[in-house]
Amino acid sequence: MNIDKKPKLTLFHCLNSFKETSSMFDGCQAKTVKMACSSMTKDIHLLKAFEAGADAVLVLVCPEKGCRYSEGSMRAKKRVDYVKTILDDIGMDSRAIEYIQHDSQKTTGLIKDIIQNNDIRA
Amino acid sequence: MITASQKPINEIIKLIAPYKKVLILGCGTCVKTCFAGGEDEVAVLASALRLSFKKKAMTIEIEEQTVERQCENEFIQEASVKMARNDATLSLACGAGVQAMVKRFAKNIVLPGVNTTFIGIQESQGIFTEECSGCGNCELGIFGGVCPVTRCAKKLLNGPCGGSQKGICEINPDTDCAWHLIIERLTTLGQLDNLKTYIPPKNWDTSLSGGPRKLVREDHII
Repeated sequence: MNIDKKPKLTLFHCLNSFKETSSMFDGCQAKTVKMACSSMTKDIHLLKAFEAGADAVLVLVCPEKGCRYSEGSMRAKKRVDYVKTILDDIGMDSRAIEYIQHDSQKTTGLIKDIIQNNDIRA
Repeated sequence: MITASQKPINEIIKLIAPYKKVLILGCGTCVKTCFAGGEDEVAVLASALRLSFKKKAMTIEIEEQTVERQCENEFIQEASVKMARNDATLSLACGAGVQAMVKRFAKNIVLPGVNTTFIGIQESQGIFTEECSGCGNCELGIFGGVCPVTRCAKKLLNGPCGGSQKGICEINPDTDCAWHLIIERLTTLGQLDNLKTYIPPKNWDTSLSGGPRKLVREDHII
């Protein structure tokens, strides 16, 4: 397969939420951005990921009540929602950015589903 | 501070569409505090516009800068180099900032990127409330520091209308009754007698009724 045809995924995640393995990104070109807390998710960083060529952006956070800094996951969700409104406004598909709460049983499967689901690509 | 909110992106795109190079100029004072036009908002808007232009195959170059205050010449000057190499400047400052830019750069196109809303405060994180109408004749001393001109929907100056319930305005259930607040505050201060002061019909000459106002401080003019 031509590597250029693979969707480009940028994953922002909290260091505390999970550890990535290369196999979970099979089928896409993935970039990961580790943050000390998902509260560090900023709208400009998410938009810059799209500017840098990402087809999809994921923000993976701790469960809301499991955030070490209490509000990180909530803040990340609000920023993802805000960026979704911007993408809608400029005519891009807002499904290109998603927010996922980490669940050790489900996260890898969710990422694979998203990679395989062309609908979310910008 | 002066509060503002950013214009919808599609309105901004229409404003800047005729130009090939556009400077987005933020203001680092009031509009930064209300998340409308500071450095962060400049970066987000610029990024969103670049993505939009790419999708629409438009070729408009975007440059970014934020100055400390767009309503003062000393700070505006910092933008002159970038303004000179762009076709237009999209100012994310309040209306005063935009017009200060226009006065300073008479031959440059300066466009507004925000809608200026009111003079207010940040009541809590992300919530801004209007507190002052700039009426030109402040009577806050009588009203215990709560302005009925701005905060009473009916602008009543001699007591409540009688329509409020449990301290909430009958016009807008999201708003506290200003007169409820005034009475509570004067009670706390032991100044309820202030309410015996008759306030005559307001003289709006000091407000906007006579056109734009001017404040002159002779002692600062050389």
